[in-house]
Amino acid sequence: MNILSAIQNIALNNEDSIAFQNGDATLSYGDLWKQSESLAAYLTTLNLPKKAPIIVYGHMAPMMVSSFLGVVKAGHPYIPVDVSIPKERIQKIIERSGAAFLIETENLERDSLQQSSIPYMSEGQLTNIVAEHSNGASTSTWVKENDDFYIIYTSGSTGNPKGVQISARNLESFVSWMHEDFPITEGKVFLNQAPFSFDLSVMDLYPALTTGATLFAITKEMIANPKILFGQLTQSKTNVWTSTPSFVQMCLMNPEFTSEMLPSLNTFLFCGEVLPTEVANKLLKLFPDARIFNTYGPTEATVAVSAIEVTEELLNDHSSLPIGYIKGDTQMLIINEDDQILSDGEKGEMIIVGPSVSKGYLGEETLTEKAFFEYKGQQAYRTGDVGYQKKGLHFYSGRVDFQVKVHGYRMEIEEIENNLLQCQYVDSCVVVPVYKNEAIDFLAAYIVPKEHSFEKEYQLSSAIKKELAKSLPAYMIPRKFNYCDQLPMTSNGKINRKQLIAEVMV
Amino acid sequence: MEKQKVYELLAEVCQEDVVVEQPDIDLFEEGLLDSFGIITFLVEVEEKFGISVSITEFTREEWNTPNRIAEQLAERV
Repeated sequence: MNILSAIQNIALNNEDSIAFQNGDATLSYGDLWKQSESLAAYLTTLNLPKKAPIIVYGHMAPMMVSSFLGVVKAGHPYIPVDVSIPKERIQKIIERSGAAFLIETENLERDSLQQSSIPYMSEGQLTNIVAEHSNGASTSTWVKENDDFYIIYTSGSTGNPKGVQISARNLESFVSWMHEDFPITEGKVFLNQAPFSFDLSVMDLYPALTTGATLFAITKEMIANPKILFGQLTQSKTNVWTSTPSFVQMCLMNPEFTSEMLPSLNTFLFCGEVLPTEVANKLLKLFPDARIFNTYGPTEATVAVSAIEVTEELLNDHSSLPIGYIKGDTQMLIINEDDQILSDGEKGEMIIVGPSVSKGYLGEETLTEKAFFEYKGQQAYRTGDVGYQKKGLHFYSGRVDFQVKVHGYRMEIEEIENNLLQCQYVDSCVVVPVYKNEAIDFLAAYIVPKEHSFEKEYQLSSAIKKELAKSLPAYMIPRKFNYCDQLPMTSNGKINRKQLIAEVMV
Repeated sequence: MEKQKVYELLAEVCQEDVVVEQPDIDLFEEGLLDSFGIITFLVEVEEKFGISVSITEFTREEWNTPNRIAEQLAERV
C-alpha cells in the first residue's frame, strides 16, 4: 500500500470531505491535496540537496498536515517540531539533522535561534504558496521505499535529542497493520491528541488519511482549559480515540465523560505507556459499546508493533495488562545478556525484528550501531525494554537503562541530568522517578548547588527550573527539587540511585 | 475546612513548602502546578475532604494561588 496514492484516491473521489479539523478551521481532502501539490512544486524549484530533511514547525494548524504531504511529495523527509519545544532544542535539531529548509506554519521567533542560517518560509509565504494551485512534482519524486518519510526527535541519554528515521516502507507496514487488525472502517472521525512531534500522532494521522477519515485536533489550549476541551469533545462526533492513558485518565476526572458525551465512540487506542487496569475497567463501564486496545511499541519500530483488545475477561485474568500479540510481519525475540534467545516465560530484553524497524538515528552512527542490527536479513532493534512472552502473548516488565515514561512522555534521565549540569547554580545532580501506584508520578532532582544568593530554596528551584526550560520541554523538568551537600555514593564511587529512590518512596 | 489543610495538601502535590509559607504565590507562573498536578490535587481533595470539583470548573484564572483555591473549596463545602 502506498500512503500518498491512497490519500490521492480519496482526494479525487471525495474532495469535499473533511480531512482535518481544529476548532472552526477545517481542511478538505481536495484542499489538502492541492495545497501539498503547490508546496511540493515550490520546494522542487529551490534545488535543495536531494533527500535532505525539512523541518515543519507549528502546533496543530491544518497547514501542518498539508506541509507534511508537500514535503514528502517533493522527495524529502519531514521533521515535525511542535511549538512546545524550546528554542535551544530546536537549534540542536537544526544542527544535528542537517535540515535544508524550515517551514513555519506558526510564527517562530527566529531572533532567539542562534546562527539561524537555515533557509525558511514564513507562515505568510506558506499561505501564498499553497494558494497558487500549481501542479506538484511528478509522482516519481515522491518519497518511497527505503527513503525517509519522517524523522522524529526523541530524548537521548547523551544530553542531545536523537532523530529516528522512519522510511516509507516502515510507515506502510504500520498503516497496513492498523487497517487489518483494528476495527477501522472508512470515513470515521479520529481524535488527534498528541502533538505531531510525538509518534503517537502517527497512530491516528495516516490510518485516518488513508481511510478518508476526519482528524479532530485536541490542541494544547484545549488541554489547558478543560471547559473548552470537553465542549470540543462533545461536538467532535469522535469514533476512534487515540491518546496516552494519562490523557484519558485526565478526561475521566469529569463525571460527564461517558458514552453520552461521545455516543459514536467505538474504538479506544492506547499507546505510549502502561495502561492501568483501573482506567480500562472504568472505560469499559462508561463506554459499554466501545472496544479498547492496548498497544506497545517504540518510535524506532514505527509507533507500535503489538496489540490486544482489553475485555472484562482479560482484566479478570491479569493484574497488569499484557502488551499483546506481535503484528503479522514482525517478530519479537526475548534475549538474555549473552544475546541468547530465551524460551516461553523467561524474562529478557525485547528485540523487534521486521519491516517497520527504522534504519537508525540520523547522522548518529555509534548510537545506531548500539541499538540496531540485522537479524536473518531483516532490520532489528534492541528496545531496552524488559519483557517475556507466554504462547505469543507479550508482557512488559521494565527497562534495562534509565529511560522513563512520565505521563506518556518518553525521556532519558541522563539527558535531564546533563542539562541540569549546564545550569549556573548546579554543581552536581541526580534525577530519580517517584512512583505512585506502579506508575511514575513525577521526577525528583537531588542537587548539590553552587554558591548562590537566594534566601529560600524555592527561589533557587524557580531559577534552575527557568534555566532548564530553555533547553528542555516542560514535561522533562523535575517537579521536586531537593538540595544536599553531597550525593550518596556506592562503595565503587558511583552515585547511589537506589538509596535516593528508596528515600523518595517513603 | 481549614485553609491550612488545603495548603498542606497543595504542598504535597507541588512538592514545595513555599505554598504553605506564601499562600498568594501564583502556582502556574512559578511552574509549581501543571495539568497532571491539578488532577492529582482534585482527586486528593475528593478523597480527603469529600469535596467533588469537576475539572471543567477548575480554571487557571480563578484557581491560581493556594489562597484562592482554599476560598473556592470553602464555597463548595
